[in-house]
Amino acid sequence: MNVLPGDSSEVTMSSSNTKFSAVTGSARKIKDNAADWHNLMVRWDKLNNDGFQFATNIVNMKNSQKEHQPVDDFSSATVSQSFSPAVQQQTAGAAELQDECSKLQTVVDQMVVIVAKMEHLTAIQQGVQDLEEFQFGPEGRTLPLCHSWRTKEFEESSRVLLAAFRQELKLKQTVVQELAHTTLPDLHMVYLSCWLHQPFLPAQTRLTLEALLLETGHRPL
Amino acid sequence: MSNGTCVKTRERVPAEGAQMSLQGALRRSFVALHSQRAVWRSVLEECDPLMESLGNLGEQMRALSRVRVSDTPLRVFPELQERLQVQLLQAADLLLQRLRSRMSHLQSVRDAISNQVSAVLQLYEDAADSLDLAAVTQRCSVIPSLADMLAWLQDAERFYKQQFLQRKTLLQTLRLDDLSQLESVFKRWKILESPDSEQEITDALCRLSFFMESHR
Repeated sequence: MNVLPGDSSEVTMSSSNTKFSAVTGSARKIKDNAADWHNLMVRWDKLNNDGFQFATNIVNMKNSQKEHQPVDDFSSATVSQSFSPAVQQQTAGAAELQDECSKLQTVVDQMVVIVAKMEHLTAIQQGVQDLEEFQFGPEGRTLPLCHSWRTKEFEESSRVLLAAFRQELKLKQTVVQELAHTTLPDLHMVYLSCWLHQPFLPAQTRLTLEALLLETGHRPL
Repeated sequence: MSNGTCVKTRERVPAEGAQMSLQGALRRSFVALHSQRAVWRSVLEECDPLMESLGNLGEQMRALSRVRVSDTPLRVFPELQERLQVQLLQAADLLLQRLRSRMSHLQSVRDAISNQVSAVLQLYEDAADSLDLAAVTQRCSVIPSLADMLAWLQDAERFYKQQFLQRKTLLQTLRLDDLSQLESVFKRWKILESPDSEQEITDALCRLSFFMESHR
């Protein structure tokens, strides 16, 4: 699981982050932004874990469905019944499968909301950047708002994070669409791996967030 | 007998002194062995889920190698196969790191046991001149013979040495690019368990329980 050790709690403002006690509007915005990024990623991680459980259930149900395929039975006893027990079992199984698929879809829907918020954060960051260019010219302000980053670097980090999460979301949407319709065990496994290991959110993504939090004083230096 | 000492026979005083001193050393060794076994078991238990996860990652890597992504709906994702492979390898690396640190811990336990045994054997050798066959094989209801106790201690030492060697070898020869080997790692790890030998040590410690508790 790609979780940073030690911190799954949401970040709240504290007065110990003394360098930026709301001196300027821009610094405040950047700092709040970073906290929001962190909180969104924590929520994403939780959804990812929940989703993995549902996805695993779907695969297990598909596997057991395969095992309980009704065998052709020409005995008169079976023919006289309207539904053989095996078919009834399959129908019940199908309902459960549908249920898990719905749960997984709900997870993805919530992730869509998270990415939308991330887009909003990036837009805010762009706004801060544009304002600075307007006030100070294309070079930006001379003294950095935070420890060492120029405002442009916050905007770039936001873009990097947003692009990564957008791509990862697309992948998850594909997994949800395809998982229940696949019968190949290897492909099942690959879909599950994709969901769990999040190939578009490598360790670099976490490091970018950490850098963001360091710069804005949410993490001690 | 309230204090558990054996009935005295006509022995030379030095032999009796050596015998008692050796018994004391053996008792301390068995008490130490008892707690070291508990440490060993708990570290080993920590390894189980790590090994299982490692095997699971092997399964995932194998599945990935058998799927032609370009034939699946995942084809629209750039470099997906490479990226996922990297993530899986990184996860495996992390597990290996944690396993290596558990292995160091097992090594400390093995070394502690070995050191205990060496010390007792040294004591025995130093006293060998004053201990005849009778002294070494003498036993009573609550104290086994020196010969038996030394043998049990050495058996235990041999067991933990062998266990460590086998487990260390398994870990060291593990290669992340040998997927079938990786997939079967948990099974191969569990096979190394030797319940019969473990039971022998447990039985010996059981026989020694009065001895270990007496002479406080």
